[in-house]
Amino acid sequence: MSTHLRRASSAVLLVLAAGCGRAPTPQIVPDALPARAEASDFSVYELESPWHDQDGRARTLASLAGRVQVVAMVYTRCTNTCPLIVDDLKRMERALAPADRARAGFVLVSLDPARDTPARLHAWGEHARLDPARWTLLTGGEDGVRELAALLGIRYRREAGEALSHSTAYLVLDRRGRIVYRHDGWAGDVDEPLARIHAAAQASAAD
Amino acid sequence: MRAFSFFLAFTLAFGAAGAAAAAPVGPEMARIPGGRYVPLFVNGPGSMRVAPFALDRRPVTRGEYLAFVRARPAWRRDRVRRAFAGPGYLAGWPAADSAGTARELRLPATAVSWFGAKAYCAWRGKRLPTTDEWEFAALASETARDAAREPGFVARLLALYTSRRPRPVGSTFRNVYGVWDLHGLAWEWTLDFNSLLISDDSRGTSARDHALFCAAGVIGATDANNYPAFLRYGFRAALEGRTTTDGLGFRCAQDL
Repeated sequence: MSTHLRRASSAVLLVLAAGCGRAPTPQIVPDALPARAEASDFSVYELESPWHDQDGRARTLASLAGRVQVVAMVYTRCTNTCPLIVDDLKRMERALAPADRARAGFVLVSLDPARDTPARLHAWGEHARLDPARWTLLTGGEDGVRELAALLGIRYRREAGEALSHSTAYLVLDRRGRIVYRHDGWAGDVDEPLARIHAAAQASAAD
Repeated sequence: MRAFSFFLAFTLAFGAAGAAAAAPVGPEMARIPGGRYVPLFVNGPGSMRVAPFALDRRPVTRGEYLAFVRARPAWRRDRVRRAFAGPGYLAGWPAADSAGTARELRLPATAVSWFGAKAYCAWRGKRLPTTDEWEFAALASETARDAAREPGFVARLLALYTSRRPRPVGSTFRNVYGVWDLHGLAWEWTLDFNSLLISDDSRGTSARDHALFCAAGVIGATDANNYPAFLRYGFRAALEGRTTTDGLGFRCAQDL
């Protein structure tokens, strides 16, 4: 592990010290994995809502096609579990075999679009040391966020003050945007999602 | 020149209407004055402020939804995007462009997904009501805005909930605002149906809940006796945007 990563991890660990356990980085054994998971009969990329990424570029969800994507909905002011979800995704990124990693991306969609500007997402991504070659941070409109959450089965609500309550889930989408896996919770075992990413990446390679 | 003046007047008239805070409220809608209310589940201060809004007097009917589907064929059951509706979408209709007999056209439009309901309301220049708006309007009986303490109201609702069958809109009761059928005809979509965070054990206190939701605090029910409200919230908690069921319809709202 590089010094950079070590420093980033200790920042995340400070948050974890608030009362959450952390599983060790797992070793994945691709041979033991299911060949192909059943995909949803729809694509998340059918949603046509407009978004902007951390570089301020206009994006559609369909522009995420072509890679296996791991998607979570979070917000930058979240001090509760969002850093833990992001940490789970980073653990997966590190644990992926190089061939799978080359076909995978990670997408964080803001639940707080009014305050999460592209510039803020950019700074947040840099702070968390998210590799821009693989990580897409998206902010959109209230309606687009609501539609995506409704489709992904993410529940959220604005509370008094600045806080939002939301499901702590992430999903794996195949390269066409079909849901192949959903994980609820955080700081758990990532073997299963890694297996699904691997299977979807293999399927992409075979296409 | 005259043509141009006409064009200009036309543009100004419609431009002004578009720029106004809210479109005119049609006679099919009731004005709900708004006020404070205590939601069943609350996290933080005990009561919420609901701003004045307009609400359809009746649920959207099959006939009305048929008109929408004809105007926007992308919402026909044989053309709808799979992301927008599960396989049960409009499944009870005899055909993709027919919603049934004259009587059936007056039934509430059910087996419509949240995406479909939302698109219908947008087509009408309206929107879905928020859960708070819907619940606020649904507190009312025929005679009182807040019927929570009216003897027998909760028991009456429960009886209505358990005797549901397909009936034309306008066949249950009209509340004090002039709104029909909020109880007893069908469940109804709300804009933020997915805003309630309760888990499978619904106590909101276990370690598992803490892992599933990033919540600022524990959510508790404010009125354990309001069983009909538990049914509504529990039902909404089971929904996703593509869900369609026979007993789930909608109506639209508008800002005032």
